[in-house]
Amino acid sequence: MRIWRHLLFALSSAWQSFWRHVPVTGAGVLSITLILILGGASLLLGHAFSQVLDGYKQRVSVISVSVADQTPLTTVEDFEDQLRLQPEVLSVRFVSKEEELRRFSEDPRNQQLIEQIQGNPVPAKIEVKVGRLGDVKKIDTLARHWRGADRTDPTDYQGDFITNMLRLSSWLTIAGFGMLAVLTVASIVIVMNTIRTAVYHRRQEIEVMKLVGATEWFVRGPFVLEGVLTGLIAASLALGLLMLAYRPFVERFQSELFFVPLTYDPRFVSVLGPDLLAAGVLLGAMGSYIGVRRFVRI
Amino acid sequence: MVIAPDFDSRPIISFQSVWKRYANGTEALKDVSLAVPEGDFIFLVGPSGAGKSTMVRLLIREEKPTRGRILVDGINLGPLPRRKLPHFRRKVGLVFQDFKLLPRLTVYENVAFALRVLGESKDAIERLVGDALETVGLANKGAKYPRELSGGEQQRVAIARALVPGPRLIVADEPTGNLDPATAWEIMQLFLRINASGSTVVMATHNREIVDLLRRRVVAIEDGRIVRDDRSGTYHEDLATSALRA
Repeated sequence: MRIWRHLLFALSSAWQSFWRHVPVTGAGVLSITLILILGGASLLLGHAFSQVLDGYKQRVSVISVSVADQTPLTTVEDFEDQLRLQPEVLSVRFVSKEEELRRFSEDPRNQQLIEQIQGNPVPAKIEVKVGRLGDVKKIDTLARHWRGADRTDPTDYQGDFITNMLRLSSWLTIAGFGMLAVLTVASIVIVMNTIRTAVYHRRQEIEVMKLVGATEWFVRGPFVLEGVLTGLIAASLALGLLMLAYRPFVERFQSELFFVPLTYDPRFVSVLGPDLLAAGVLLGAMGSYIGVRRFVRI
Repeated sequence: MVIAPDFDSRPIISFQSVWKRYANGTEALKDVSLAVPEGDFIFLVGPSGAGKSTMVRLLIREEKPTRGRILVDGINLGPLPRRKLPHFRRKVGLVFQDFKLLPRLTVYENVAFALRVLGESKDAIERLVGDALETVGLANKGAKYPRELSGGEQQRVAIARALVPGPRLIVADEPTGNLDPATAWEIMQLFLRINASGSTVVMATHNREIVDLLRRRVVAIEDGRIVRDDRSGTYHEDLATSALRA
């Protein structure tokens, strides 16, 4: 019962203090809203670009080995078995000359060419799906040493493209984490300063609390709750604005930069919502916790 | 009826060879020893900077002694851990010269604040605050704000707040310092009534007239040392009381 009364006291103090010092708390809310918008936007963009990257990765993680004409089927099957024994390989599929020609002719870019060729000049293929993009090179090397491979164009391996994509992917991850770290620190510092100002405005009350025997956490509690409230309001604002802006932004992006396959993903918004609110509460709680530990001592 | 101080039992306050040196090198107290029995009324007198406020700060553990021991109600304040401080402070009612009231709260809320901090129920708060305001003669001013009260009334509110949790010890630092003589005398009457009901009162003061009129125990401090401890003393040493020295 006593704990409940203490909690009620902390809640009502935090609520009153928040609205009593609106110029200060409002500035804190706005700053954290901006930071969370930046964080949320970078997560949305990161998600969109990772979808694009995943698409590319999906495509280049399948390497096609061209089979030289006249290669006996048993040699092909032996090589397929050898490939399946590789731990990096997820699947191996043989594509006959006929199937490959059909695929080739179905591509609209090859329409003119297909009218001019006679017979079936396209080689049979072995399509190898590799788990990690970095391991494609190993399969390429293996295929190039295989005696059944077409000597003119043994594989469709695009080494530089993969290297660049892996590099871009890791840079984006590092940049994302770096940005989130900077934004986290900035939010904590902002909440700390909001709390420092609140502590300054309520120094008389704190002194009286101290004199009448309030415990340290009884005094600190309302400030921590005020920080949580600041973070929660900021996160709600940021989420609302991001939800409003996400779709129009993607549509604008699609019309301006049509060659980048960026898409609107409503499922990610439903994932981002709780995450952003939790981040706001957590940042508010952390900033105010550090703040009260520094500025409120009995 | 005035309850006579019990000099035979364990003192509620005991300073044992206490020294206090501040970080800037100032020696505020030098080898101070003092015992205050339960129910006593004691004036701490002396010029500014003599060490009275340091004694008050040590008594409420705002400061720690550099050497020696301070026991309040059997609690050794020097090594008292920070987490136990609030529980100790609830045993002591504090009254200051500047009242330390919260301007946004009404008289009732200011007094109730001391009980809300302790997590008392609404019913208990209503009853105890009503009693405390009755004691200090402000029963009909609960809805007023401190700015609407005179200095004497504000000090009464501060006293009510100090009294409301029912402490056995009241420590007052210059409680009449901001008041005119007539109001100061009214406040002193209030402290006497509180003392008569059994609470020990320790008061640091510069108010010579009051000390001389009341003839209570006087501990005079000069340059960090106790130079006089009279059972029924005056502000300045005089021959008439020196014979009654404790």
